[in-house]
This record gives sequence, structure tokens and C-alpha cells, in this order.
Amino acid sequence: MSKITVPIGPQHPLLKEPLAFTLTLEGEHVIESAMRIGYVHRGIERLCQERTYVQNIHLLERVCGICSHIHTTTFCQGVEGLLGLEVPLRGLHIRALLCELERIHSHLLWLGVQARNIGFDTIFMYAWRDREIVLDIMEDLSGGRVSHAVNVIGGVRIDLTPERRDQIMAQLDVLEAQIETLLGVVENERSFQARTRDIGRLTTEQARRYCVVGPVARASGVDIDLRRDAPYPPYDHLKFRVPVRYEGDAWARTLVRMLETVESVHLCRQILTALPDGPTAARAKRRVPAGEVVSRAEAPRGEVVYYIRSDGSDKPARVKVRTPTLTNLIILPDQLQNISMADVSVVLSGVDLCIACADR
Amino acid sequence: MSRLLTQIYLFEEIFAALQAAFPDETWLVEAKPLDDTFITLPPGRLRPAVQLLMDQFDLYHLSTITGDDTGEEVRLLYHFWSGYGLTFCVRLPYTALSMPTLTDIIPGARFYEQEVQEMLGVTFEGLAVTGPLFLPDDWEGGYPLRRTAERV
Repeated sequence: MSKITVPIGPQHPLLKEPLAFTLTLEGEHVIESAMRIGYVHRGIERLCQERTYVQNIHLLERVCGICSHIHTTTFCQGVEGLLGLEVPLRGLHIRALLCELERIHSHLLWLGVQARNIGFDTIFMYAWRDREIVLDIMEDLSGGRVSHAVNVIGGVRIDLTPERRDQIMAQLDVLEAQIETLLGVVENERSFQARTRDIGRLTTEQARRYCVVGPVARASGVDIDLRRDAPYPPYDHLKFRVPVRYEGDAWARTLVRMLETVESVHLCRQILTALPDGPTAARAKRRVPAGEVVSRAEAPRGEVVYYIRSDGSDKPARVKVRTPTLTNLIILPDQLQNISMADVSVVLSGVDLCIACADR
Repeated sequence: MSRLLTQIYLFEEIFAALQAAFPDETWLVEAKPLDDTFITLPPGRLRPAVQLLMDQFDLYHLSTITGDDTGEEVRLLYHFWSGYGLTFCVRLPYTALSMPTLTDIIPGARFYEQEVQEMLGVTFEGLAVTGPLFLPDDWEGGYPLRRTAERV
């Protein structure tokens, strides 16, 4: 059979962000693949060196649209570590609330994309409709649906009244019921399972060797979650489960993300119930003492790492950003080997690509 | 045992094992904010130290490799994590910007090494690179993260 080369990207209906694959097919099977990233590389790390720490919060929020809050959270956490600044607990709780809301909205967005990629448009519509509840909550809290600008060095710039808290709790009740329906579809619906079971299998050993993170790792039996394993407040006193599956296929990844979404709703309720009184931010100095720090947090896609080095001025000497998607992209060439062309869409979306994050 | 105590004890075991493996060397060990420890070691000792972490402590998770041009040298920071952070710091003079690759023992290091290679000009011996990673195919602006790099 003769070989055909099929390009996917940089612009393609399958891909929400630019990324290029060149697949070599023999009949319906992919025998070779090549990947090119870097289409949205904006030189963010270099730009950080030319801006103050406060300006960098604005810049780093724009590394990614879907996980903007976790980027500024990790950055502020690192700078607060360098300053030796203690963030008030109320501020940390509100930060975590937005982290969990962001996790819910990211996973629901992803579920819609995954469903669309297998032709299940109904679930795409339902998931994105339910996601609107989360976006409404975030807009009420911060003024922005996707880009919130909530973090400041020392805490958060927003607060919530008891009435707003009750309103969010009611919205979470509605959301939870919808998510349970979507979870039921993932667990039971036969056409969904037929398109995702046994596709894109990643063994536990492969996940460890490639240092994979996030739901992709947890779906392959690697039990890591920074919220539990390196607990930054308030996660050190919140109760939640970390779902882990061992099948390692696209269905396991979908199930892990849906179960995490349910846990995130419970976490939001715990945070709102336990919200302590007090200020939401501590005052931070403009100049950060010389030093270096590695700050980590659990983004919706996994471990996000920031290395920040300060030279004692008001601008960082070096900011290194490592996002979970860059780590997880490395499994794609293996995953695309010897699969049917029809499964390429499921494999690509299973990794939960956030190319803006990976390229920076 | 509290998490902090566990971290301290486990780190002491790791450091004792490293000292036993390289008894004639003194490495700088620094505690950093947010539960990380930096160990500065000579470039030639990085691979054996990483192999020791993997063999004796099952510490295999490389978070990333940071390349940092301080103006006097290029530092490479290998950030490992296993419930706590452990960073190996290697200092490379501008005249010797070369390190052996880790990709044969940690395949997940590939993108990180490739990024340091194209952004700072450090050569990783044994790393198979087929082209630029983030930079455009026709990039002629040098190494963007060097201190001497010009604004494009």
C-alpha cells in the first residue's frame, strides 16, 4: 500500500491552538508522526526580565487563557516565598476557590472538546452550557470570565460578602447535578466508551519515564497530586480524594477528569464554608530580596513549576515557567504510533493540549 | 510524622548517600523557600548523582531544567520532585557550555534540554535534535535568553 502524508495543523478543526503534526499513513494506519510546536512562542520568560514583579502578574496571566489563575498563583506564591511574606488565610482561601473553579471550567471545556472530537456534539453543547455557570460565578467574583486579575503579591484583591457566598453555593448545587449527569454518560454510554476505551494507552512505567503529570499520569496509575503531596494552604486542611485509574487509555483520562471535577465542586463548598475572617492581602515590598525559589502548584493539567531568581531589584533576574502540557506533549509521538486515523482525534485531545501554555 | 520532618529525614538520607558515593567532594547545599534544597555539584557528577537518586530512592520525577545566564556563567538547574523539591545546580563557564544528556535515563528530559540548547546555546551531548523547538525555522537572532542577546 502506498504511503500518504497528512498534515494536521498548524490550523486544523481538531486543534484549538496552533500545533503541527505530519502523519504518514499506510492505508488507515499511522506509521510515523512528526510534531512541531512553537507557533505561539512569545518569549514570555525573556519579557519577564524587563518588567517589575507587579507587571509580571499581568503578563503571566496571559500565558494561558484556560489556566490563567494558577499561573499567577504559582508566581505570587514564589515571590511571597522570596519576600518571606505570610499571606492572610482569607486571601489563600479565595485564591484556592478560584483555582478550583478554574479546574472545573477547564475540565468541562476539555470534555466538550473531547466529545466534539468523537462526534458527540450533544455532550459538547451540554458541557459548555454547564461551564457557563462557572464562568458566571467567576465573573461575579472578579469581573472577568476567563482572565480574572485576582492575585496580587500578598494575597488577592477581591472579597466576597455572605450573600455572594450563599449565591455561589446555590449555583454549585445546580452545577453538581449537571456534572453528575455528564459523569454518568462517560461511565455508561456505549458509543462514548467505544470511541475511547483502549485508545492511546500509556502504561504506568511509560508515565514515570516520561515524567508525565496531571490527569494523564493519574489515569495511568501514577498517584501524584501536588494539592495533597506538597500541600500549600489551604489544601493542607481540606479533605478531598485524588482519583486514580490504571487503564491508561483515553476513557480513563476522561473519567479521572470528571471525577476531579466532582471533587473540585466539593472543595469549593468546603472553602466557602471554612472561609476565615480577616484581610485578603498583606502589603508586599516592591523590591524583592536577592534569592531564588521554586514554586509549584497543581494546575488543571498537572504540575506547573516556576523558578524565580531575584537580584534584589524590583525586576526578576530570571523567571522560568514549566507548564504541564509541555511535559505531556512528549508522549504524543509514541501514542500516535500504529493507530487508526480515526483515533488520532481522541489521542490528541486526551492529552488536554494547551499549546499557549507549552510554548509560552 | 509530619510532612516537614519526613522531608528532612529523607533528605538527610539522600545527602548521606551522595556523600558516601562521592566522599572526596564537598558540595554546597542550600535550603530554599517553599520546601526546596539546592545542591551545587560539578558538571561531571550530575549524571552519576541522578542515577543514584533513581536507583536508591526511586526519585525519577524531573520537573524541568532551568537555564540561567547570570552574566558570569550559565547555571543549569535540574529540578527534581518527590513530595519535596531537590534541585541539582551545575555551573558552566561560557567557554565550556556542554553537558551530557539525561534523555537515555530520563526520556522526559528531552524538551527541557532542547529548550536550554536553543535558548542559551548549551550543547547536550547525545541529544538527538531534529530542528528548533520553539524558535522559528529561519531564526537568526542568536540565543534569546543570553544576557548579551539583543531585543528583536
